[in-house]
Amino acid sequence: MSRTDLTGRVALVTGAAQGMGAAHAARLAADGATVVVNDREPSEALDRVAHEVGGTALAADLSDPGQVAELVARTEETAGRLDVLVANHAYMSMAPFLEHDVDDWWKVVDTNLGGTFHLVRSAAAGMVARGAGRVVVISSIWGLTGWPEASAYAASKSGLVSLIKTLGRELAPHGVIVNGIAPGVIDTPQLQVDADAARVPLAEIHARYAEAIPLGRIGAPEEVSAAVSLLADFRLQAMVGQVVQVNGGELRGRA
Amino acid sequence: MSAGTTEQPGVAVVTGAASGIGAAVAAELRERGWRVAGLDLTASGAVDLALEVDVRDGAAMAEAVDRAGRELGDVTAAVSVAGHYAMAPLAEITTEQWQRMLRVHLGGFTNLARAVLPGLLARRSGSVVAIASELAIGGGDEDAHYAAAKGAVLGAVRSLAAEAAPRGVRVNAVAPGPTDTPLLAPDSPWRDRDYLDTLPLRRLGSPQEVALCVAWLLEEGTFCVGEVLNPNAGAVI
Repeated sequence: MSRTDLTGRVALVTGAAQGMGAAHAARLAADGATVVVNDREPSEALDRVAHEVGGTALAADLSDPGQVAELVARTEETAGRLDVLVANHAYMSMAPFLEHDVDDWWKVVDTNLGGTFHLVRSAAAGMVARGAGRVVVISSIWGLTGWPEASAYAASKSGLVSLIKTLGRELAPHGVIVNGIAPGVIDTPQLQVDADAARVPLAEIHARYAEAIPLGRIGAPEEVSAAVSLLADFRLQAMVGQVVQVNGGELRGRA
Repeated sequence: MSAGTTEQPGVAVVTGAASGIGAAVAAELRERGWRVAGLDLTASGAVDLALEVDVRDGAAMAEAVDRAGRELGDVTAAVSVAGHYAMAPLAEITTEQWQRMLRVHLGGFTNLARAVLPGLLARRSGSVVAIASELAIGGGDEDAHYAAAKGAVLGAVRSLAAEAAPRGVRVNAVAPGPTDTPLLAPDSPWRDRDYLDTLPLRRLGSPQEVALCVAWLLEEGTFCVGEVLNPNAGAVI
């Protein structure tokens, strides 16, 4: 026994052009997996990540169920199979509830919650047929606590928690283990969105968040990737339907 | 491994290391390069230093941890596993049984934490993991004293976590479900096929699965503070 070994396994990481998704792809590749990386559009950044992890880049807009099904099919075609799905993609926008454009509100939910629903729906078939698979869904601390002016994002991430729990129960008897992660404040490009919403510089947002965290700092993407690696470990089945909180102690015990 | 986010193997003190989950934790950590002091009522098997001690005895625990530090080097991690399990209807739980549950689980954890924290805090590094239980979260029929003791451990873990994190030390927990260890008698209701069929995983957890979670919290859960990992076969979701 030692750390996670994914030699011979194929992983798909969504939202992997930057930030946490790119870190998850790097970690799973380091654990031995063949990695397919996805983001909404083809980009140099996505190609660079694919190159760095020795994997394949496949662009797809996950708010479109047709593109989701095609992404999974192309992954299985390209890499031969799909063992580990990491649903990391997210679209975020913030606005006061009464002012939030309704179409944009639904775009957040349809991308984050709907996209993951369709992803698991497509990916689980092959996993169930082989009697083994790992699904890791990235939720958020805001999916557990809610947050002002983030009703769409919090609803989508909270919906993911219920999806994780339900699919954990439903798919475990088939050998497909579903869990989630609720990261707290992590040093990713997403923080710029929060800074813009608060109309303060990025450094000020970092400092403000760190103040609320017992560990006294925000997290690194690799610290969330470490949890992805744990939940992708095929030796560990007993963790099922759970949400691992990686937040420096900001929130203790609410998943 | 991602640079800068992984704790290197060091010296771990593991209580309850003579059997079950404690023995699995000791084995997993040694496999990863840790030196392990095993503390238990009887001598632990495959460890670097076996010390016979009752976790309820604070002075004896302090002396054991001190000795582990002298013989193996600075203690960098502690895992509180020692425990015992019994079922009883609430009205039949005697004062003696109630106190024993609390002294072993909550006392065992706090005695270990008191012994190791001064060193960890002085070096501003390291972490502590407590083994709680799925019953601390979901409760269970005829489990009032056990669930109360394990629930108290979680409260202590979360509070101590908030207290120690600003000083560079992490405190977390693992809450297993029914696990295939000597704590579950051969005729335990937790081994009934009818019960196991209610679990999403359809089987007991293994000590090794719990050990993987413990090792992960010590080595890789560097942004986890007051967190509870739940390898419970889906018993509580």
